[in-house]
Amino acid sequence: MDRREFVQTLAVLGSGLTVAPGQMAFAQAAKDTIVIAQSGDALTMDPAKHSHYPTANVAFAIFDPLITRGADGTFKPALALSWSNPDPLTWEFKLRPGVKFHDGTPMTSEDVKFTFERALDPNFKAPYFSRISAIKKVEAPDALTVRFKTEAPFPTMLFSLYEAAFPALIVPSAYVKANGDALASKPVGTGPYKFVEWRKDDRIVLEANPDYWGGAPKIKTVIWRPIREVRTRIAELRSGGVDVIGDVPPEDIQGLERGGARVAAVASDILYFFHFDTLKDSPLKDKRVRQAINYAIDVDAIHKAIMGGLGNKISMVLPKEAFGYDESVGGYPFDPAKAKQLLTEAGYPNGFTIPLVSRQGRYLKDKEVMEASIGYLARVGIKVEAKYLEPGVWAQVSEKKGREGLIFGGWSGLDPDLVWYPLLYTGEYQSYYSNKELDVLLAKGRSTIDPKERLAIYKQAAQIMKEDAPNVPMLQPPLVYALNAKLDWTPRIDSIIDLRAASFK
Amino acid sequence: MAAFIAGRVLYALGVVFGVSVAVFFLVRIGGDPSALFLPPETSVAEIARFRTLMGFDRPLLVQYWDFITDALQGDFGRSLRYQQPAMQLVLERVPATLELSGAALLLSLVIAVPLAILGAVHRGSIFDRLGLLVSLFGQSFPAFWLAIMLILLFSEVWPVLPPSGRGGLRNLVLPATALAAYSTAIITRLLRSSLIEVLSSDYVRTARGKGLSETAIVYGHALRNAAIPTLTVIGLQVGALLGGAVITEEIFAYPGIGRLAIQSITNRDFTVVQAFVVLTAVLIVSINLTLDLVYAALDPRLRRRH
Repeated sequence: MDRREFVQTLAVLGSGLTVAPGQMAFAQAAKDTIVIAQSGDALTMDPAKHSHYPTANVAFAIFDPLITRGADGTFKPALALSWSNPDPLTWEFKLRPGVKFHDGTPMTSEDVKFTFERALDPNFKAPYFSRISAIKKVEAPDALTVRFKTEAPFPTMLFSLYEAAFPALIVPSAYVKANGDALASKPVGTGPYKFVEWRKDDRIVLEANPDYWGGAPKIKTVIWRPIREVRTRIAELRSGGVDVIGDVPPEDIQGLERGGARVAAVASDILYFFHFDTLKDSPLKDKRVRQAINYAIDVDAIHKAIMGGLGNKISMVLPKEAFGYDESVGGYPFDPAKAKQLLTEAGYPNGFTIPLVSRQGRYLKDKEVMEASIGYLARVGIKVEAKYLEPGVWAQVSEKKGREGLIFGGWSGLDPDLVWYPLLYTGEYQSYYSNKELDVLLAKGRSTIDPKERLAIYKQAAQIMKEDAPNVPMLQPPLVYALNAKLDWTPRIDSIIDLRAASFK
Repeated sequence: MAAFIAGRVLYALGVVFGVSVAVFFLVRIGGDPSALFLPPETSVAEIARFRTLMGFDRPLLVQYWDFITDALQGDFGRSLRYQQPAMQLVLERVPATLELSGAALLLSLVIAVPLAILGAVHRGSIFDRLGLLVSLFGQSFPAFWLAIMLILLFSEVWPVLPPSGRGGLRNLVLPATALAAYSTAIITRLLRSSLIEVLSSDYVRTARGKGLSETAIVYGHALRNAAIPTLTVIGLQVGALLGGAVITEEIFAYPGIGRLAIQSITNRDFTVVQAFVVLTAVLIVSINLTLDLVYAALDPRLRRRH
């Protein structure tokens, strides 16, 4: 390269710099396009072939479920207009008439039957098989009626049919039968947005479906961009390149608001809590020790200092928005003196040492919450030896039931049967606890579909859990989004991004 | 020359084979991806069912045999997460990474070569000091830190460049700069010192003595001789650039193979990691092979020695 070429190269680089501000202004003027930065790209466009939230968000813009979760937490009609239980083993849905897929074919009960039979086929290898596996048979008696049959009463059926049960998004049977794997790259749904383009790891472009049964969406174009690094997402939002970013660290909220962005936070349905390994021989077998640990940790202070007061403090291991959550049961107040006293009564006046094996960085500030708790426990003489594992290794320890001592939970679920049964019922894979009395109640709670009866059962279960303290309920961490201040959109507890009602002011 | 080339090629093939064995067993040390891939509430029985379906429970040697026989036919298996052929996933992203590393290498050379020549010819001058400063900074700042600083400066404080994505030249400036910093530093220092050494050698004094212009000496004699050690380093830097692209792509959300690799490693998507590592090994080995042949062309002594 001679000197002239060198100067020319510099000039090219320089011109790149000067063009920039004009283009930025253009991006801000085009307000019928929304750009959403997620932490990852979609893995596939086939809603039943993944177990990945960024993919689910895109899929939920293209496809519809039978029922959907309303802003108030109740289930609302989507592709189904109504549902009923002719008997405790049958769930019957009446479908919305006149709904068409993006390719123009009408949506009927055959599509619903096909959707579930496809994902329930073991050879299909659906990652979220477990979410729908209670469905034993799907019947389509007429074009607008679908019946799901279960072997035993399945009270949480509706949770298996809304958008967070990924394989429950309805796919077009004719299209899939005719085109095989095409659904994974060129999806066709009934949803508010139609698929336009997917540049892998760079962007997914969707356009509004003017014939959407729920009314044409106000925002014409949706662009999903994968940006994993949080600093980069923030820079993109600040420079006007994107309109929505998620997983904003609480400490960045003030700066973003000062910069003119709107911050929207909601308590997530994820649960932070410690549970105890009460199966192996350790001081944790003693109820008084477990109660002492509950008294020793100042959850309020952790909530304030680490989460900036966002999210919820919980008094039982269940999201506040869940069926059966009952604040009146009450949690343990922060009382280190009482903790010391209980430890002395249990025969540990000088404390003891227990292990904590966990992964870190999976959820917002999870390590900080663990470290703060460890600090509080040290004050009452309990020494925690923490070991943080790489996610893959952790999954294996967990699978082999190798967790011990203090176990930091990260679990979600909006019904006691989805949370307490797997975590506390004797012998369950994630359960490190055994209590005959509680087992009876948890088994009863899943054997009836009558909400009133179930509420009474879980009220009793909550009392036992309060007294026997198999865990330390702590927090629902927040989901924190930063938005273009002109955008009108509300985040959801289950972290699913719904653009159906989104608009720009 | 033929024997020399044949020897180098055989050696290169051996390296790629060794890498394939290493990556296959290394990714499996921590166990298989079933538990990580399925939702947390999945029961042990269901995880086991999935594992059998995917064939992760077969003996490792059997799995390796399947891998190597398929790989030799160009089939690297399907990605568990993407449910697509693994090599296709990697290859789709190669152009983006080559674009980024190519831009970074070009940027390094554009900055390093003039700085090194100016520094060597005018030792102790302001140019020389500037060159030393550039190399000091380039070597001391970690790429991820530099990347975040560049984003902060040029996308937030002075918002003139987009902080992420792939598009035109504008999208390339920040990631290429972050990636180029280290290699610029290395190339500047190395080329400067080799030039200084060559410029003080006897034949340069002879050339000066017979009245050649300084320009003719530097460009006609010295640069060619100083180029050999520098080429070696540039060859090594290509590997470093591809490796550095892993972090740079992640920060700038650049859709290349590096980002795919990181995600596949965290999710234990074995087939993709294998395809990525084998492909990168082939790339780096071929670059070094080409360089070996170029030295031989540049310096006949190297041919005779082998």
